[in-house]
Amino acid sequence: MAFLKRKKESFEGGGLVLFDAVQPAMKAEKVLKQADYKVRLVAPPPELRKGCDLAVEINLVEQPGIERLLKQSAVAYVEIRPLKGSDAGILEIVRVTDFGDWVMVKAANMKLTYEKESGKIVNTSGGGCPDIPVMHAELLDKRVDEAPRPRDIGYTLCSLMLDRALEECQSLWKGGKGA
Amino acid sequence: MMLIAGTVPIKDMPLTYGKVSSVGDYLFVGGQRIPCTQGTGAMVSAALATTAYLKLEPPQVLLAGDIGQGKGSREIYEYLIENVAELAPQVLALHYWLPDMAQTRRLCAAIEKCARRPVLIADAASMYSAKAAGLAPFFDVFTPDAAEMAFLADPDATHPAYVRFMIYNDMEHMPELIKAAYQHKNAARLIVVKGAVDYVVKDGEIVATVTEPDVPMMEPIGGTGDTITGIISAFVSAGLEPHEAAVIAARANRMAGKMAEVTPATRVSRVIARFPEVFKKYLCEWSGVCTTGGVE
Repeated sequence: MAFLKRKKESFEGGGLVLFDAVQPAMKAEKVLKQADYKVRLVAPPPELRKGCDLAVEINLVEQPGIERLLKQSAVAYVEIRPLKGSDAGILEIVRVTDFGDWVMVKAANMKLTYEKESGKIVNTSGGGCPDIPVMHAELLDKRVDEAPRPRDIGYTLCSLMLDRALEECQSLWKGGKGA
Repeated sequence: MMLIAGTVPIKDMPLTYGKVSSVGDYLFVGGQRIPCTQGTGAMVSAALATTAYLKLEPPQVLLAGDIGQGKGSREIYEYLIENVAELAPQVLALHYWLPDMAQTRRLCAAIEKCARRPVLIADAASMYSAKAAGLAPFFDVFTPDAAEMAFLADPDATHPAYVRFMIYNDMEHMPELIKAAYQHKNAARLIVVKGAVDYVVKDGEIVATVTEPDVPMMEPIGGTGDTITGIISAFVSAGLEPHEAAVIAARANRMAGKMAEVTPATRVSRVIARFPEVFKKYLCEWSGVCTTGGVE
């Protein structure tokens, strides 16, 4: 007797959503799959366990979009962690470069530059995820305190880093209308 | 044939394959109009400016609309996996997409089956997925900036946002980061680090640095790293060795920035518009490529 073999879809996500109970983990899987995210239920490694034997493996790059969706869907989760280098958190450090009339703020791989006088965003650069050229178009020519937040409209870790840069620009702009 | 694959920021733009042309600040392919801005648009525009100057066939492109949700990226992965052997590109340059380790693994397996292996170039998130999947040594060229070089040097990071603080903080010590990336097998055969100093690294050894002209105001301009990758792709498809193409690209990019008198508010299209003039004035002197129509 011949058996038909269904091709198993491969998935390597690199990130885990951790829960303190089984029910929200199962709900999270359902909500994310409905939104077309590639995810799977897994057992978290012991060092990452947060009181629940189930976690949802996600493509770590999609963390901001996934977090937003889980919050909108009222799914309680403890945190999101990378599978490798699990002690590493998201980079919080920013670097500021003064270009005279302009200030550039760098957060990880993303850079955002605004004009000191007007507070207007004149450029974004760096990154490589598909939402970054969208952010570029959305942010250009807007004042740092009026621009949309990349964490609200982006989907990837690149957009989250751009958000960090924008946050710092807002603080610099508020603090002294410049650097 | 050179094939450039990547996403563009146009929601619902279908998967589009074809020869690319340009008018003003827009690219045209398969009836689609794509802006020449940061990302794949800038890279393709730079490659096209280079092939046009060299009087070579324009690049073939495989593009799909994706605003970050991954649909267009998945279409590109699937199309390449199914068709790369038949398309048989001489150079395959991968650019913006949603990094997907499993799909990158499938793509590399498909490339391995090609009768003639293409020169494989990765920038932006295609470089992230190659590194995260442990496939960096399969690639011929990576073109990171300093922060992305820190990402390649970190053995565990799957995205530059998760680079360990200590490694990120070491960006001023680029030779150490380069060494670490090769030690951990997270580097392509050739790496071109784009920054205040452009490093050209072959099999772990720094073979060239480019520092002139010094145009620091290029760093904030979105797309000025993408242009380097586009120029490298074009010169490799014209027959130059990747490390030679890298040095020319680094110099040409800087010179175009200088000629355009850039400020942090300049758009990348103004830099790209200067490439023909740069090549006309300097290409022969820099490279010995003094005729067009391919490299002897």
